[in-house]
Amino acid sequence: MDLWRIISFTLEVALASTAIILLPGLLLSWALSKSWPGKAVIEALVSVPLVIPPTAIGLVLLIALGPVSPVGRWLHETLGWEVAFTWRAVVLSCAVVSFPLFVRQARSALEEVDPAILGVARTLGRGPVACFVQVHAPLAWRGILAGLVLAFTRALGEFGATIVVAGNIPGQTQTLALALFQQIQVGREWEAMKLAAISTLIAVIALAWVELLTRSRDRAMSR
Amino acid sequence: MILDFDLRLKKGDFHLDAAAQVGGATAILGESGCGKTSLLHAIAGLSRAEGRVTVRGEVLQDTDAGIYLPAEKRHLGLVPQNGQLFPHLSVCKNLLFGIRGRDRRRQVLAGENFQGLVEALDLGHLLERSPRYLSGGERRRVALGRALLYQPRLLLLDEPTEGLDAERARCALAQVLQATRILDIPLLVVTHKVPEALALAHQVVVLNQGKVIASGRCSDILSRKGRVGVVDEHRNINVVHGTVVSHEPEDGETHISTDDGLQLAIPLDTDLRLGSEVVLSVDAEEVLLSTQSPEAISARNVFAERVREVWWEEGSAYIDTGRWMALLTARAARALEIREGTPLWLIVKAHSWRVLIG
Repeated sequence: MDLWRIISFTLEVALASTAIILLPGLLLSWALSKSWPGKAVIEALVSVPLVIPPTAIGLVLLIALGPVSPVGRWLHETLGWEVAFTWRAVVLSCAVVSFPLFVRQARSALEEVDPAILGVARTLGRGPVACFVQVHAPLAWRGILAGLVLAFTRALGEFGATIVVAGNIPGQTQTLALALFQQIQVGREWEAMKLAAISTLIAVIALAWVELLTRSRDRAMSR
Repeated sequence: MILDFDLRLKKGDFHLDAAAQVGGATAILGESGCGKTSLLHAIAGLSRAEGRVTVRGEVLQDTDAGIYLPAEKRHLGLVPQNGQLFPHLSVCKNLLFGIRGRDRRRQVLAGENFQGLVEALDLGHLLERSPRYLSGGERRRVALGRALLYQPRLLLLDEPTEGLDAERARCALAQVLQATRILDIPLLVVTHKVPEALALAHQVVVLNQGKVIASGRCSDILSRKGRVGVVDEHRNINVVHGTVVSHEPEDGETHISTDDGLQLAIPLDTDLRLGSEVVLSVDAEEVLLSTQSPEAISARNVFAERVREVWWEEGSAYIDTGRWMALLTARAARALEIREGTPLWLIVKAHSWRVLIG
């Protein structure tokens, strides 16, 4: 088992999935922070990955993106991409399961911003996009960052959907969670515990980094 | 005509249905909950109301004609009650928020308007500070400066002295007057205080339960005869605008020259800057009347006038000279045989004056 390879692959995959969900997640969070007809339906759909078994998500992704599916075939023919049982499938499954966590957290942070402040920004000539970029998002940055870290740590530990759509191929799709499962299966409990400790350590470092960043920004603002 | 509106808005059980045409500095006056702020927000484009708004001849909305400019295209400067500064930006960045482009901001920073405004609003020492560490009054001043630097077509001011004590309120209003003059921007102020409306505005729109019950010149609407029921309190006040001429510490007096040429004496107040604009008020009940020229009298302000109108109400007599209003008991008025055209001397003690703005 190449431990460093597994750790770096897991980090890369978690970062990539978090980066992928940032923009659509922010847009959706912003839309959900407003009132409009049909919003409840979209909210329910976004939360579906939280309440169904991750293996079911993996199955849906496999059916949708597998080599015989129309989308999978189109990706292969036009871009030359194989998705199922590749690193792309790992990134995608991580993104799908962490997306609702990010959206819920970011939406609630955006909702907490006083609408009166946004109104003032609009009277000072800022349209909806400029108002979001210059006022709304900067005022909700703590919640947005917390949502990103939550998504990142969820991606670090993602297992169910990944094993279905990407398998557990050492050196290709094996993340820390998958490697841990493999070590338990072959009875290497000490190795499994080592992987569990490393996963925990990475998550704790991520959370502590966010905390430090928040505090240093607070100090800068208070000057 | 600066502002012409005819707006309808429904918010739950509350209905706003208000129309008026006003020019010059205007106050929207009414009790709490009558819809003043809702009207202000509808004019600013922050609440989607039906109807029409025209500012300085430009149609900002006319929903019947399918015209509706969003708030960001109306170019109106809103100063909310508590300032609503952007907490993630310094005071300086808040002030410059309405100015687009880095080069333009540099120009404004170096320009006379910016320097004059910062001085008038006493913000020089706060420019690099975060809004989180400003007092309520400081926040309002920054919000006022931010809206004015945007150079709006019309400045919308929501309850500018709410929560301030009398001393701070008069300073805040003085800064509003001075700052709006520097940039020559017309004012629409929402308030529930009659003296504030009289001090800041020439025209008034009186709202009650979402409807305009009176609009026109302050002197017509807010005099006792205006009989606008919701603003009975402070109906009997005389307001004068003037300039500080001198301080006389030995006499304990500050001298004011009014815009219509009268010389007034008020108790010494060295906080009033020489040459600065002041607005004073005196209650009609505090004005003494004499039908003969008073001599050997302690009161420092005596003005010769002639009665224009007298009317009687519930045992009281209201004497209107055109410039002043005095309130007497009916018996006192009868004893003086006051009627239209009677020459009078109005007497006001120096201590009866209140400084509304200065």
